[in-house]
This record gives sequence, C-alpha cells and structure tokens, in this order.
Amino acid sequence: MRWVTLFFLLPMSVQALSAESDTLSRIGAQMEQHPMVRADFIQSKQMPALKRPLVTSGRLVYSRRHGVLWQIEQPYRMSYVLGEDRIIEIAADGTRRERGLRDVPGLAQVGRVFRAMLGANTAALRDLFEVSVQGSPEKWEIDLKPRQAQLAQFLSGLQLSGGHYLESIRISEAGGETTQIRFRNTQGGGVPNEAELQLFGGEVGKP
Amino acid sequence: MKLRAMLWFLLAIGVAAACGIQFTASGRVPVQTNLLALLPPTERNPVAEGAVARLADAAGNRAVFLIGEKRSDVAASAARAFATQLLESGAFRNVVADIPLVDPKQFTALYLQHRYSLLTEIDRRALASGHADLAGRLQRKLYTPFRFGLSLSPTDDPFGFTDAWLAGLPIRTLKLEPENGLLVTRDAERSWVFVTAELSGSAYDGAIQQRVGEAVVRAESTLRQLAPEAAVLRTGTVFYANAARQSAEREVDLIGAGSLLGMLLLLYIVFRSLRPLALGLLSVGFGIGTAVAVTVAVHGEMHLITLVFGASLIGEAIDYAVQYFAAHLGAGKDWEPMAGLRRIAPGLTVALATSLLGYGVLLLAPFPALSQIALFAFVGLGAAWLSVFLLLPALLVRPSRRDADAAVAGTRYLLVWWQARMSKRLCLILAALLLVVAAPGWLRLSGNDDVRLLVARPAELVAQEEKFRELTGFGNSSQFFLIEAETSDAVLAREEQLATRLNGLVTQGEVSGFQGISSFVPSLSRQEENHRLWQDQVFADTTALKALFVRSELQDDVAITQLTSFEASAGQALRLDDWLKAPLSAPFRHLWLGQTAGGFATIVLPQGVRDVAPLADAAVGLSGVTLVDKTGSVSRLFNDYRQWGALWLIGACTLVFAVLCVRYSWQQAAVTLIPTLLAMALALGILGYLRAPFTLFNLMALMLVLGVGVNYAIFLREGGMHAAATLAGVLLSAGTTLLSFGLLAFSSMPALSGFGLTLLIGIGIAVLLAPSVLSFSGRDAP
Repeated sequence: MRWVTLFFLLPMSVQALSAESDTLSRIGAQMEQHPMVRADFIQSKQMPALKRPLVTSGRLVYSRRHGVLWQIEQPYRMSYVLGEDRIIEIAADGTRRERGLRDVPGLAQVGRVFRAMLGANTAALRDLFEVSVQGSPEKWEIDLKPRQAQLAQFLSGLQLSGGHYLESIRISEAGGETTQIRFRNTQGGGVPNEAELQLFGGEVGKP
Repeated sequence: MKLRAMLWFLLAIGVAAACGIQFTASGRVPVQTNLLALLPPTERNPVAEGAVARLADAAGNRAVFLIGEKRSDVAASAARAFATQLLESGAFRNVVADIPLVDPKQFTALYLQHRYSLLTEIDRRALASGHADLAGRLQRKLYTPFRFGLSLSPTDDPFGFTDAWLAGLPIRTLKLEPENGLLVTRDAERSWVFVTAELSGSAYDGAIQQRVGEAVVRAESTLRQLAPEAAVLRTGTVFYANAARQSAEREVDLIGAGSLLGMLLLLYIVFRSLRPLALGLLSVGFGIGTAVAVTVAVHGEMHLITLVFGASLIGEAIDYAVQYFAAHLGAGKDWEPMAGLRRIAPGLTVALATSLLGYGVLLLAPFPALSQIALFAFVGLGAAWLSVFLLLPALLVRPSRRDADAAVAGTRYLLVWWQARMSKRLCLILAALLLVVAAPGWLRLSGNDDVRLLVARPAELVAQEEKFRELTGFGNSSQFFLIEAETSDAVLAREEQLATRLNGLVTQGEVSGFQGISSFVPSLSRQEENHRLWQDQVFADTTALKALFVRSELQDDVAITQLTSFEASAGQALRLDDWLKAPLSAPFRHLWLGQTAGGFATIVLPQGVRDVAPLADAAVGLSGVTLVDKTGSVSRLFNDYRQWGALWLIGACTLVFAVLCVRYSWQQAAVTLIPTLLAMALALGILGYLRAPFTLFNLMALMLVLGVGVNYAIFLREGGMHAAATLAGVLLSAGTTLLSFGLLAFSSMPALSGFGLTLLIGIGIAVLLAPSVLSFSGRDAP
C-alpha cells in the first residue's frame, strides 16, 4: 500500500518539491507528461519469518484518473485496485473484496498521504517526509525519510530511483521487512483498455 | 382594616426574607437550564433512566472545537495556541489538542495474548462450516502488497485471523485522523484540527457557563490576531445551556419590564393617579415574590421556562387590584373601602377560583415543567388576590377625586352602543357566524409533540453543530440499547445476540454501525467456541500444519511458536476486567454501566440511525434487552398529555360551569361562559389558519383562556350599576394581560411563544365578546 501510493504519486510529489531543487523539478516535469503508465514489475520481499525472499511479478497500470491497478501474475493471479478512498482485491475468479481506507486502522494515515498528494498538497508532503535528491534528471535517486512518528512506526524509509521513468523502489519497514521492486518495459501514454476499465470498476478515481 | 394590613405586611416581610435567604445562599436566583430536569421520568426501568442521565453527562461535560485554516501547519499551530489559551483561562479542567501517540504494538498486545479465543463473525462461520482454507489464507498473508497499520507478523498470525479481528474492531467511527499528533479532518477549503475541553463542573452551572463563555470569546479573539483567516466551530451542551440562559434572562427583562411599564401606563391613563400605580405594584410584587419563594422552597430551583412564564404572570396578577381600583373609581364620592371590597369580593373570588382551576390541573400533572409553572401561577395569583383583601382597603381610604362619569365616559358610550345594537338575537347570530368562520381552521390544525419545543436553539449554534457533525461524523442519535443480566458475562452474551441482529440492520443500511463492548470482548462462551474452532480447524492436524509451513518456506520457528502459544492459550480467555483496564478501552468505557441493582448492565449505541422502528424490532424477543429512546418517550408522553389535556379541557369547562351555577342560575351561567368558549373555538381556528403547530402548550394556554376569559364576563356581570367603571377595569385588566402574554409570544422558546400566542388570541377575543353577557343579563344599563 505505502509504496504503491508513493509510486503513484511520485510525479506530483516530485513536482511539489521542485522549488527545492532544479533536478527535482525536471524529474517531475518529465514524469508528469504521462497521465497513463504501464510497466512490468518484479517484487522481492524479505521477511524475517521467511527463509527466502518472496518473489512476485506482474503488471502495473497507473491512470491518473482511475488509480492504480496492481496485477500479480506469478506465482498466482491476484489483482488489486487502489482508489482514492478504497482498496479492491480481485481474485483470479473475478470475486471482488472491497475495503474503505477509513475502515482500516492505520490505513487512514497512508490514505491521507495519498489524498494529500493527489491534490498536489505540497505542504502535507513536506510534513510527512525529509527529501534528499542525487543525480541528474537522466539518472536520479530520491531518498524519503518519514518526519512523523505516526508514519515512522511502520516505515523507516523509501528509496526511489530512475531516469525518464521510475525504475526501482526500495521500502524499509520498521518491522525489519524490506521490499525491492523493479520496473521494466515502462510505456507512457494511451488509455485503459476495456479489461482494465472493468477491473478499475469504472468508478475508482472518477474525476 | 388595620389588622388586615398588618397581617399583609408581616407576610410580605416573611416573603422578602425567604427570597433574601434563597438568593444569598446561591448568590442569584437558582435557575435550572437542564432540559432533562424538566422532563418526567419516562422509562419504567430506573437503570435506563440512569443510563440516559449518564450518557447526557458524558456528552454534556465536554465542549469540542474545530479550528480550520487553509494551510494545515497554520491550523495546527492555531489550534495548539487556542487550546493553551483555553486551559490558561481556568474555565476548563483540561483542554487537549495533542493526542498521545498510540503505539500499535501496545494496542495489539492485549489481543495478541488472547488471539486463540477470538475470531470475526465471518471467520467463525467459515471455520464452523469447515472452510478454513489455511493454505490460501497463508498465501494471501504473505503475498498481499497492502499491509495495514494494525497487522501482526506472519510468525504471530500466519493466517490473518487476528488481523481480521483487529480490522473489525469498531474503533474508527469518526472521520478524524491522527496527523502530527493532532486529530485532523478536511473539507474542500480547510484543514480542521480537533480540540476537546473538559468542563470543571456541570454544563448547567451558571457560573461555569459564564466562565466558559468568556474564555471562548477571549481565545477566539486571540486566534483572530494569530491567524486572521482561521475559523472556529464549537459545540457542546454548555453553549446551548448558556445561550438558553442568556436569552431567557433577556426575555424576562423584556417581558417583565414591558408588561410592568405598559401596566403602569394603562393604570395611569384610566385612574390619573399615582396611588393605584403604587398599590398595584405592591400587590403584584407580593404575588410574584411569594410565587418565587414558594417555588424555590418546593423545587429547590426555578427552571428557565418558569422564570419567563413568571414574568408574564404580572399582567394577570394585577387584575384583582384593577377591579378594586375600578370599584373605587366607579363609587366616586360614596366610596367606603370595606363596602367596596364586599361588593367586588364574590366576583374576585369566583375569578380566582376559575383561574386556579385552569392552573390546578397542571399542578397535578406528573411533569416537572408543568407542575412548576402551575405552582408558580397558583401561589402568585393567590397572593395577589390576598393583597386586595388585606392591603388595599387600608391604603385606599379616600374617595376618588376624579370625576367618575368623565373617567368612564368612553366605556359608558361603548356599553350604551352595545346594548342598543346587540340584541340577544344578534348575539346568537354573531356566535354562529364566528363558529362558521373558525370551523375550517380547526381542520388545518396539526399536532407537534417534539421535545425541542422546550428549548430555544440559536440558529447559529445549530449551524455550527451541523457543520461539526458533517466534518467529524459524530453521531446524533439519542437512542440506545440497554442490556441487563445477572452476571457480566451473561450481559455480553445477550449483547452478542443483539449484535447479530444489528449486523443485519447494517447490511440493510438501516444503521451505519454500532458501538458495544462485546465487539471488543466476546462473552466467555463465545470465546470458548472460538478456541474450540481453532483447535478443530487449525491445530487438529499438526503434521499437516507443519507441512504447510515448510511448503511455504516459513522459518522453522514459526510452527514451533504457533504450537507452543496455542497450547499455552487454553483457558486464557480475555476477561472484561482486563479489557476495561487496558488503555485502548478508554474511549468506550462509558458503555459499560457495571453493577446495578439487578445485576450488570451495558449499553449499545447504534450509529447513523435512519428510523427507530427497525431498532425497536431488533430488541423484540431478546430478554434483558431494551431500546431506550428518551426523545421518543418524551414525545409520546407529550402526545398522551395532549390527548388527555383535551379531555381535561372539556372537563374544566364543565367544572367552571358548575362553579358559575353556584352563584347564578344555569341559564345565566351559560351566558357567562359562552363568550369564553367562543373565544377558545376561534383561537383554535386562527391557530389553524396560521398553520401554527398545535402542542401541549397551546392546550395549556386554552385552559388559561378559560380561566381568565370567564373572569371578564364575571366582572362585567357583577359590575351592575357601576358597569361602565367595571368595563373600564375589565378592559384595563385585559390590556395588561394581553401585553404580558403578547410579549411572551416573542419568546425564543417555541413552547412559550405558542403559549403566549394562544393566550393573546384567546383572551383578546374573550374580552371583545365579554359585553355580550350584558345583552342577556336583563339588568339595566347605567
């Protein structure tokens, strides 16, 4: 949830911080061009309870209008739609399970980040993270550290890197879990196809 | 005569002393602003009545604020400054903007310890039907990309059963979210920060209301300097009670001063002498003073509504004195004080009797608001009447210097005109015509039994409260379920039965949710059932379980941790007492009523209630479960009283008729009563045309129209050879009464304004029709 949110919001969050750094503003500008992004992902999650990292792969669809569609294809099929105020879990057989962000303890905080950034609420973003940037718009790394104790209880830090598009995210959780996500075959532009629209439910992130 | 006057002065000194003691004891008139204090106990169950009071206290002794600003950082600093200033004012026991950081581990620790006794409703059903799907659950737990704040590690909760339990706790019912240590909500324009303040005493304490009011005004003006664009929303019982007190005090001043000045002016115009003014003031002052002293002595305090009503009683209490002054004026040079008194005494006494009949029935009503008003009127009128008998003859000895004929020339002309034009026949035609005009109005009358008739709710506070609710999601329902049983565990078990039905209502959308202790602590039998399901469905086959963990590449210690902690969990159910001691129960502890006379009790608060009927159905057939709906019960009670009051009104008319028959023949009694009955019928019709809601208080007013209106006819009939002077007196009484009750019609309390309006219309018509008794009396015109 957390990292999906941040990935989703990155173009705007980067733009929001543009005043602080020229690099940031240029990264923001090049990512802002695309209201729609598709990419393949490979996620590797390390948990203290597991002997080996857990690897999943699938496709990501980001639509500024509809939200985020996270489709796991391996090792089993499962899709998640992340909207402004809810999460929908869609099993391989099409059954949907919906949860409001407000209903879930602790999730509202993240939902807050999510909505604040959706509205390009720069103040809220600066409230939440210490931001440091390295590199050039062609090859960059951004480091986010939570400012608030509330968020730091769950999250110890985020590292993002990329060039024209976001290429990788690394999430370090307070409980010792780390997650590494790499994106490949990223394509900007286009519109959601019919299958995707159906998954989005036609309602999520309605303008 | 001297002796009587002495007696009066002794009584007056006694009353003054009593008032003095009462006021110095409390520093002011002990005025009650709590609406609940006015209402009768509506619940048969004393535990329910106690729970109503307790909930009202829990909500009442807090004031809550939202500080809004466009920029969230400005809103945060403004809210902190606002809270600090409120706290420094000393008007509050505590003011909190910053919330303690909730450590999720501390939060989940209690449930982690008892996790094998807990299951959500859905999981319990799934396990009971054998659909554990442990492999699928483990897979979802490990692979889900979304992890929530309150979730346990796979080592502690590999199948997510406890995660589901934690997520199902009804702890997030408000729209407020923690942010930077503050509770924050947002709308399109502003970021709002929540500030809560605990009063240092009761919200109905006048001194506290004043200090809170001043502190808030100061804090708001400081806030405007600090953040000029910030907005403040506030709500709380204390603000309503304070506004009610202030508006009542304004109204007492307005009605009291208005009717007093008007009365003095009218007295002067008619009598052209200062003596009646002074004597009238003495008589009324004695009446009202005695009424206050007795009411406070009996009830220990006076309610706002009695105070405002009391101010309007001035106009009625003066009537007896006015009749005496009229007799004085009419007698001219032949005035002899005791003879004058003897002449008007029967009329005054019959008039007092009819008025007391009107109020007397209210005195019997098991309804504090009505019986207090009735007692006040009873004592006030009785004392004013007594003043006329004891005091006035001693102080009004010399004959009137004013030429009686000149003074009453106007009214004499009116009388002559009336008797010349208004034959008996014409009177009857007029009566029939008035009834025809009034009848369509009756059909438009619609009842209103809302308890809010008794409170003035300033529009500005109501608007703020509505905005507050919209922003925070605070509920507004006054209904709750009371669950009682002999043991605390049996209470929880009964609540679970209710919860099952309420969950059905949530699914149907009848309620948005509910808060109850059993959502946090299941009954012991439910916990045993849960533990058995864990045993049978999860830990029955340890070999398969271990194999599943190995297959999923979990560390070896996960299986060991699971098996050892499950074994250790036998008999370790979560106890209610432990939960009540845990910090996480703090926001919900008020739901647990604890030990009562009959065992133990708790309450369940439904939220987002659309309609009460399905809630009432939910409690049907569950023993020990009652739906308590105070607003509903009070409305039903108002309705009962209204029905019952209508019957009493008919009875009262008969009684008044009987009283009149004692003095007059039955035909003459009827002639005396009919103008008032017509006035009541017309008043009802006019209320219908005005589309004014017909309430219990309109009915009360009609009883007074009966009591007061018939007096005018009596006075006129008794006037005899001094009829012109009597009519002047009657018009004068009517003028003062109409002035007082007319001013009452502008009260901000709907009950009182409806009361005043009905009296204004009813008495106005009664006095206009009163001369018709002369057409039938057969006595000669003056």
